[in-house]
Amino acid sequence: MGVRAISTYEFPSADRQEMYGDDQLVHVHWKGNLFMCAAACFRAPRAMPWADFKAAMVDGWASSDPDYTPDAPKSWELDGRPFDPKPDQSLADLGVGHKSLISFAG
Amino acid sequence: MSKLSMKDRYGLLTRDLDWSPTYVDPKDVYPYTTFEGIKIHDWDAWEDPFRLTVDSYFKYQAEKDRRLYAVLDSYAQSQGHLGLSDARYLNAMKLFLQGVTPLEYQAHRHFAFLSRYLDGPGPRFAALCQSQDELRHTQTETHTLSLYNKFYGGFHSFSKMHDRVWYLSVPKSFFDDAVSAGPFEFLTSISFSFEYLLTNLLFVPFMSGASFNGDLPTMTFGFSAQSDESRHMTLGLESVKFILEQDEGNVPIVQDWIDKWFWRSYRVTGLVAAMMDYMLPKPVMSWKEAFKLYFEDQMLDGLFPDLAYYGIRPPRHVADAIAEKDVLSHQVYWTLYSFSFAAGFTTTIPEKENLDWLSAQYPDTFERYFRGNWEKAQRIRDAGGRFFFQGLPQLCQTCQIPMLFTEPGDPTRIAFRRSEYKGESFDFCSDGCKWIFDREPEKYVQAWLPVHQIFQGNCGGPSVPEVLAWYGLQEGDAGEYEGSLDQVSWADWHAKGGE
Repeated sequence: MGVRAISTYEFPSADRQEMYGDDQLVHVHWKGNLFMCAAACFRAPRAMPWADFKAAMVDGWASSDPDYTPDAPKSWELDGRPFDPKPDQSLADLGVGHKSLISFAG
Repeated sequence: MSKLSMKDRYGLLTRDLDWSPTYVDPKDVYPYTTFEGIKIHDWDAWEDPFRLTVDSYFKYQAEKDRRLYAVLDSYAQSQGHLGLSDARYLNAMKLFLQGVTPLEYQAHRHFAFLSRYLDGPGPRFAALCQSQDELRHTQTETHTLSLYNKFYGGFHSFSKMHDRVWYLSVPKSFFDDAVSAGPFEFLTSISFSFEYLLTNLLFVPFMSGASFNGDLPTMTFGFSAQSDESRHMTLGLESVKFILEQDEGNVPIVQDWIDKWFWRSYRVTGLVAAMMDYMLPKPVMSWKEAFKLYFEDQMLDGLFPDLAYYGIRPPRHVADAIAEKDVLSHQVYWTLYSFSFAAGFTTTIPEKENLDWLSAQYPDTFERYFRGNWEKAQRIRDAGGRFFFQGLPQLCQTCQIPMLFTEPGDPTRIAFRRSEYKGESFDFCSDGCKWIFDREPEKYVQAWLPVHQIFQGNCGGPSVPEVLAWYGLQEGDAGEYEGSLDQVSWADWHAKGGE
């Protein structure tokens, strides 16, 4: 069922991909580490190479936890599936979509 | 001449003033009471349990106001704020003023709307009284807490913060959801699910916290609102029973709303859980105990067996809420601690006696899953740092809370739920929030999610200082309590007092 309304009820999504131009939202989750209370959300260019994304965004955020080291993340997953990103592949090449969830074990 | 009975007087001063439209179609006068699918056959079957009239209502409220304002005056004149348990207690009141007071105002507006647009004079008048109550609560809460605004951070600009700050989008979007629904859904959401099912977990904890921590003005406000709140609870129950009795076809519609609004309201109480267990220097009772007493015992075991008579069963997803009572407050407050650089209040590591109290209250979970976070945060403090989450969190599309909740029964794994709608992904913290979205995706795709809005450039700019300025936060409002302006002033005032 849908919304019961007094007239036609149809509105665009507030966060549709086009609102972010050439960028998109990407979520990153550090599995099993509840010191970091939730996954992080980033706005990243689809053309951004994985190495840059990892260094600028993932490492910057995960370093909030003093026990993090940049070489620690392993067992990467993209939207629940095993994932083996290479440094020069772009997010788009890797199949990272708008609001995708990337996770790793620390 | 003999005096009229209360019942006759009430009749003459309320329903008797009503008339039936003759030269305008009633459907044009009351255009909003059919589209939800609810059928009302006899509006006169509505029984007002209180039989208030305008003159008695105002006389009674004015008397209560006089008493409250006398207390506020004497508290202000005697520097009563210096007798609080600790300045950090006021963080609970900042959360109340920013998160709850604007909801009172929203409730005032929407009950005013109902007092015009419900077809029956009985429910219209009940809505009018509640509308007045809610406006009065907005005013008295603001006046009560303005006593502290003179001395402490976080109390200014509360309505601006309500509209803009990330954690306040949780209560704000909750109420926006309710007021943008039809009148019967609004009654089920706010009067029943919020005011009846959960008021003892929403409103009362702040007032008891005030009483335990030396906040006489807020406690007095609480007393002055208490009789109104019990009237609102009764109205909530009356309105749902009235709708259910009118037509059998109403039952599944109301059940759906109870399922939705229980979970929506329950998610908002996550902030109250954190307040009860972590923000009161002298805690009243744990969230777990309060949830068991006020929700499981009074509502699930007390109310719902009665509602079974109407064909209503306990809310969907209630088992998840029960399972969560051992972990909820710890997960929510840890999140507030992690992000308090961007909040209208401060947070700090609980004192040792508070940590021990939490261990005793939560023997199965606190030491095992949560105390270690505080010990690690303390080590960071000891090394001269302060832990903050350096980034923005993933949010739930429905409740708008950061996705901090864990799988039912497993406090070590964050719960992720997802739906696809028109080719776009949407994320949820729980089965409850996903279910609510899937019922009405057209509504929730419009959500104003604070994190996403920052990334779209709609919140003052891309940097943290720009966003905080746009939030209306000033120096001393946010961050760590130890060393904050509030804490420094408090220590200073008390050092002088001791000389």
